[in-house]
Amino acid sequence: MNEPASTSWPSRVRAAITLPERVGWRDQVIGASIAAVYVGWLLATARVLGFPRDEGVYFRAGTGYFTWWRALLERGKDAMRQGVIDGAFGDNREHPALMKTLFGASEYFFHQKWHVFADATTALRFPAMCTAGLALWTTYLFGTRLWGRRAGVVAACLLGLMPRVFFHAHLACFDVPIMAMWFWCVYVNWRALETGKIGWAIAAGVVYGLTLATKHNAWFLPVALVPHALFVRRYAMLSSIKRWLPTLPANLVAMAILGPLVLVAVSPYLWNDTAARLQWWFDFHLHHEYYNIEFLGKNYFWPPAPKSYLPVMVLATVPTITILLFAIGAYERAAVGVRRLAAWWRTLRGAAETESATEARGEPDLLLALSIGVAMGPFFLEHTPIFGGTKHWLPAYPALAVFAGRGFELAAVAMRAALAQLQLDAVRVRAAQVALFACVVAGPFAETAHSHPFGLSAYVPLVGGTAGGADLGLNRQFWGYTTQDAAAQYLNAQAPKNASVFIDDTTWDAWSRMIAEKRVRGDLHATGAPHDAQIALVQHELHMNEVDYTIWIALGTDAPAYIVRQDGVPIVSIYRRP
Amino acid sequence: MSGEQHKSATAKAWHRYAFALVPAAGLLELGAHVVQTHSVAPDADWRAARGFVAAHAAPDDLVAFAPRWVDPVGREQFGPQIADLEREARADVTRFPRAFEVSIRGEHLADLQGWSREDVQRFGGVTVTTWKNPSPVPVIDDLVSHVDAQHVRVSRVEGGRESECPFGHMAPASGGLGSGPALPSDRFSCPGGSGVGASVVADLDYYPHRCIYTPGVGGDVVVRVRFLDVTLGRSLQGHHALYVEAERMKQGAPVTITLRIGDTTLGSVVHHDGDGWRPFEFDTSAFAGQHADVVADIASPGGQRRNYCFEANTR
Repeated sequence: MNEPASTSWPSRVRAAITLPERVGWRDQVIGASIAAVYVGWLLATARVLGFPRDEGVYFRAGTGYFTWWRALLERGKDAMRQGVIDGAFGDNREHPALMKTLFGASEYFFHQKWHVFADATTALRFPAMCTAGLALWTTYLFGTRLWGRRAGVVAACLLGLMPRVFFHAHLACFDVPIMAMWFWCVYVNWRALETGKIGWAIAAGVVYGLTLATKHNAWFLPVALVPHALFVRRYAMLSSIKRWLPTLPANLVAMAILGPLVLVAVSPYLWNDTAARLQWWFDFHLHHEYYNIEFLGKNYFWPPAPKSYLPVMVLATVPTITILLFAIGAYERAAVGVRRLAAWWRTLRGAAETESATEARGEPDLLLALSIGVAMGPFFLEHTPIFGGTKHWLPAYPALAVFAGRGFELAAVAMRAALAQLQLDAVRVRAAQVALFACVVAGPFAETAHSHPFGLSAYVPLVGGTAGGADLGLNRQFWGYTTQDAAAQYLNAQAPKNASVFIDDTTWDAWSRMIAEKRVRGDLHATGAPHDAQIALVQHELHMNEVDYTIWIALGTDAPAYIVRQDGVPIVSIYRRP
Repeated sequence: MSGEQHKSATAKAWHRYAFALVPAAGLLELGAHVVQTHSVAPDADWRAARGFVAAHAAPDDLVAFAPRWVDPVGREQFGPQIADLEREARADVTRFPRAFEVSIRGEHLADLQGWSREDVQRFGGVTVTTWKNPSPVPVIDDLVSHVDAQHVRVSRVEGGRESECPFGHMAPASGGLGSGPALPSDRFSCPGGSGVGASVVADLDYYPHRCIYTPGVGGDVVVRVRFLDVTLGRSLQGHHALYVEAERMKQGAPVTITLRIGDTTLGSVVHHDGDGWRPFEFDTSAFAGQHADVVADIASPGGQRRNYCFEANTR
């Protein structure tokens, strides 16, 4: 006698692995798994990436910050003296303390105490890598809740497979952490409005505080979150006003109260002279010095940035298939929005939409659009400096990826419908779906994997790749982090014993770290003047050309002994005294 | 099926399979990535191109690399004998009768527009194009090449008092980003610590130019450079600039160079911040064919970071 179909072993396996339609704990496992794989990839590729200028500062500050927390536990009251706090947290006080504290904690636990990571720097970088995982996790959850797991998975993958995201995700800096915290904050706020639960509202306040404690981009978040929440809760608020008991969305109240409290709680430097120090923090960033960057062959030293800067750099650095899927997804959502608006207009008197229906949705399209707009908008303003380019609008990318996930979902549904006409069996349909997924992620994966460790030099095939970016006169790198590649490819094997090396844009901190971790040969010593050097490096950027010419005279040759190249494009020139 | 029905059916089919644009775009991007990352000119192509240029280029021909970003690779592959400072840090291209343009990716140098193409040789991914200058203006004496103890005297004039700057061989003087051009090991050392020597300045667009670097100019100090026994032609031409970081802010005082032949003043040229690598020219027809000392007095009312550099030549 045949077994009933429902109890055959393939059916049982299928039943076991079939996820319920409702998003739940299994999705947290999927999100966490995506995050874990990504963090694992970052860890596996961390050692080949040298140390940028700023990272050296954050390494030092992180160690100092966590040393204070240990002192607090060990010495208690003594550590609470203002002089002791300021001594530890005064270093790099222009950036909030949260991530640096985590960098230091990770170094202490995962390197010094438990020896999980052989390199102290990998331990220092680990928290930022985890935030990259958090960003993918959140992106998966948001995409899944909105448009299904397929959209969520693709969104998370496409976010992780952006070469610039992958590059910055390695660093003990704040650019990927603020991307992660920004989007986490967006997600939690949406959940607070969608569910109406007080727990999510409180979480919104706490997460906003942590976001404030990550990087000052967080100041802009209310520009997205406040109008969104007011729009979602517009009927409830109007009703409350009519009752003479005006209310505000709970998430906004929590953000206003808990946000600053959490910021101060995790920032010992703000425990004294709080108002004055907050004012100094604002002033520092409102009057930040301008850094230069090359764009289309010209070096820009001052604002305003060319209006084309952000769009061109997005198109040149985000894989084109991701942009295409984003365009499809965003267009469809915009069309839905327009249809809703038109329906509302037509039935203005008929109240076609009920209050609860609007509130239940939580207006995610609007929120995602605002998240992108607010993260990118400042770069179109008159006085916003260009700074380091793409890294400053990374917070826009998770929402972009979620729309791209929607675009993929639409394509997948359309493909399924088309295949249904061909009457293919289920296996072939499934294979086609897998192939569609592979077609979408293969390019971004290849580009991202190939870009490492020269992520800042990487440009997408649309503009001709790395060489195409160089042809266009787009920035090739900054922060002098490629000295490690010069060591790996030339110095460690070819430099004379005890040679002096002019390290150009690389910091002394970074050089010392590379020596300590045996990334650079220990007998080599750095010098700050080309004429003192037997070997001189130039990390190629347009304005570094002047250093190139200095070396020609100081070393008596204009011919590099070796050039670190990516796809034929010079990254570091290495000169050797004849 | 009527025409309308046929059109409608076709439109439906297109609509049904429009999703295929997504995997097609993904595969196209992947394919482009593979092609782009595997189409780099190998060193063997560069070596072959070098062999050709070494065999055919005369000493007064230009050898240059395109696009601009590949210049370091060109210098590495061609070496300092071919990619020398006279070519790499040229004042301009007018003096060269011919140019060997070594290029990749089909790029060309804007400087050679208007020149006539004589020959094209392809060595795999590297192309050598030979260009002929339609109207070269040969240089008789390049004064930058004169900067040594036998051919130049340098002095510092302050408050009417002239102090000689002795020539010597010492360690070069250089720094990192923002420090200005390097002073070479063979240079004139003036009282007060400043020096004068042949160097390379980065202009406002970060192009290199070989020039005589006189960083000690400004305030009450005039730097006087006397070129001995120069062979004169119909004109004395030159360029001048300040180091990019010294002039891009456009806040510094102007720098004036006054040129004389013997006791005859040819004239003065003022360089204002923001001018960049600016040409100048004086008529010397009256002295054509003669040998005489050429004197350059460099002065500026302000002494703040006047990293001035000039080149001059007779034609």
